[in-house]
Amino acid sequence: MKKLKSWPVWMLMGFLVIALLAVGSTRDAGPMTQSDRIDSITKHIACPTCDGESVYVSRATSAENIRKQVARDVAAGELSDDEIIASIARTFKAQVLLVPRATGFDSLVWVLPIAVLICAVAGLWVAFRRWRGQNVLGATDEDVALVEKLLAEDPTDEENV
Amino acid sequence: MLSVGGLSGPIGRACLLVGIIGAFFGLFAAVSGTRQSDEKVMRLVPRFAYLSCAAAIAAFAAMEWGMITRDFSLAYVQKVGSYSTPALYNFTAVWSALEGSILLWLLVLACLTVGIVVKYRTRLNDPMVGWALATMNIVMLFFFVLTLGPANPFKLGAPGVLDGPGPNPLLQNHILVVFHPPILYLGYVGMTVPFAFAIGALITGRVGEGWLVETRRWALFSWGFLTFGIILGSWWSYEVLGWSGVWAWDPVENASFIPWLTATAYIHSVLVQERRGMLRVWNLSLLISTFSLTILGTFLTRSGILNSVHAFSDSDIGPFLLTFFAIIVVVSVALIGWRGDKLRAPGTIDSPLSREGAFLANNVIFSVFAFVVLLGTVFPLIVEALQDRQLVVGEPFFDTLAVPAGLTLLFLMCIAPVLPWRKASGELLSQRLFWPAWAGIAALALSVVLGATGINPLLTFTLGGFAGGAALRQLVLATRRQGMRGLVGRANGGMVVHIGVILISVALAASNSYTHSQELTLKKGVVASFGGHTFELMGFEQSADDRRSVMSAVVKVDGAQSYAPAISKFTSMGMNIGTPSVKSTLTKDIYITLEPPVKPTSDSAKIKVFIKPMIMWLWIGGGLMGIGTLLSAFPGSRRRPTDPTSAPIGVSV
Repeated sequence: MKKLKSWPVWMLMGFLVIALLAVGSTRDAGPMTQSDRIDSITKHIACPTCDGESVYVSRATSAENIRKQVARDVAAGELSDDEIIASIARTFKAQVLLVPRATGFDSLVWVLPIAVLICAVAGLWVAFRRWRGQNVLGATDEDVALVEKLLAEDPTDEENV
Repeated sequence: MLSVGGLSGPIGRACLLVGIIGAFFGLFAAVSGTRQSDEKVMRLVPRFAYLSCAAAIAAFAAMEWGMITRDFSLAYVQKVGSYSTPALYNFTAVWSALEGSILLWLLVLACLTVGIVVKYRTRLNDPMVGWALATMNIVMLFFFVLTLGPANPFKLGAPGVLDGPGPNPLLQNHILVVFHPPILYLGYVGMTVPFAFAIGALITGRVGEGWLVETRRWALFSWGFLTFGIILGSWWSYEVLGWSGVWAWDPVENASFIPWLTATAYIHSVLVQERRGMLRVWNLSLLISTFSLTILGTFLTRSGILNSVHAFSDSDIGPFLLTFFAIIVVVSVALIGWRGDKLRAPGTIDSPLSREGAFLANNVIFSVFAFVVLLGTVFPLIVEALQDRQLVVGEPFFDTLAVPAGLTLLFLMCIAPVLPWRKASGELLSQRLFWPAWAGIAALALSVVLGATGINPLLTFTLGGFAGGAALRQLVLATRRQGMRGLVGRANGGMVVHIGVILISVALAASNSYTHSQELTLKKGVVASFGGHTFELMGFEQSADDRRSVMSAVVKVDGAQSYAPAISKFTSMGMNIGTPSVKSTLTKDIYITLEPPVKPTSDSAKIKVFIKPMIMWLWIGGGLMGIGTLLSAFPGSRRRPTDPTSAPIGVSV
């Protein structure tokens, strides 16, 4: 059993995962219906009279009108999804877009989460370094070896939450 | 019904006044009794708590009575009452708008305060309990003042009003409106209890693990109710709103989700403190954040500053809530600063590759996730305040950032359950993760064979299988050793919760990625097909009462099951509300909406069909999370429930 769980088997598992992910993620997802496309586009457009709801979610008249406009554009088949969204944004001004731009002040909404994540991870890294330093002072090699031995022997370890 | 119109207002206002008196003297007794260690004074605290609770119950009953008797002397009844509203929705109309929802909040809070008083009736002389009760009374006093002041449901309305419009039609269209708000409030308001004990611990300086043990079940049950309330809200959205989704990142949804994220971080990180005595400041901060975020969320969604499908209206409660939020934050931070010396952790975390290391990583992700949702919710306000222009942040933004956070959390759910405390070796991980990893690969292979595409859903299925394998492994090991008792306790109940979360993640990934929809114009006698199913219009059905007229199309699917998507016109408001017709199986839902305009004399109808895979597993996962929470609340066989986990195991003689 130990051999079964050795690193070559883990390598094989890793290879399988990569291969299956490659097969699954690169193959054609099949045709979208016109409705699917309308739904996908309207999820990116805010209902102008609904305070935060998307056209896809809202049942308001203004949302219904935009949905009809999108349906006409999709049926015409001349514009891409982005072009349809841009045309709606031009008609109703920029506040109908549900995705903040990645430029200017709006980019803060994208940048801040990443900055917070980096700070949090850096904070953890610093904390672990400090703790490791304290551990060296706190326990002798014999202590560490004893604890590891006991931990390895402790049959109830996994349920001790 | 015998009309006693006009009485519920004075009775309600009197009750609120009595409640204020009870909460004020309860606070006074708790503070002075605790400071002077005066048992006699402390014995008054429960009496004032009972008085306040009785006043809150009576005020709520008066409001219900006002609604039942259609007491149109009250402005609130004028706003949400109507003779045409059925009894059930008339009962729930009490919490269908701002003032009534704050009254419901107050009712839950007053009952929880009595719950604490009863539980700790023999320990009232314990200063930590005393300060916790003082904190509960402060919060209760605030909500009594709010209810008697800017959010008063007993305010008199304009004279001469004989009938009202009734509650929002969306709130009188499904039975879930009875359960979703009260259950959500049990969780939302329940977070006050651990917060109160945290403040008690800070004031008394007993910031060790004792207060955590005291509040363990309170926090767990509040979290459980909040979880269940959110899931019921998703179900309501799915069954009522007609857009076939369960979550729209609406500001009110976010207002409940943000405290849920910080509370989830807390119920994990608290284990590190109980076990290792560490993360004291962090755990206190998480609890304080959770509670203050419930107040901030209420401010954002009930003050009218942000609007959504749930936000009720403009009101004057904003400054009250914002001031209270500021006080909570300032006082809590000051207390933490004051107790800084006692909050230093005595231990260290030996290795990132340990259970406590995994909990820390989990906390980072949950906290950043909570920050992202909060930022996205308030960013339009910031832009408007600073740049005087309007901006909308919606679903695509939240989805973009939620997917990596969700996948990382799923990954942690694969690893954390098999990690030992303190340190893990590569060999140990290789042993313990082997079969769970194969479960992940099996899930991925099955998904690919079944035709799944897209990197995000495939990663979700893989990590879902992996994490499910890790959770099942823990349960199998525990039940082998302990039989059915291996399913209870925090570790094992927690694994049941994990399985619930995994099912929800997989269901969301599948339904968001592989839903197909099509609009069909059906003609009687002509069969249309979509997504491997046939649809045939059989006819129309109409019904009408004082409240609404309903027009439904009878659609036969696959020649057998009849669906009846409908459009209801609510006469008093002139609103058209669609009611989808949904039939669920374990593999997929067929969700049909009737699209306007509908002409009953016509022989055709336009419907929209959604084929949504795996939605049923979302509700099953929600149920498992509930069951897992209950199992987690029972102590394992080895320890008394009141002992910290680090306490020595008793030896039976």
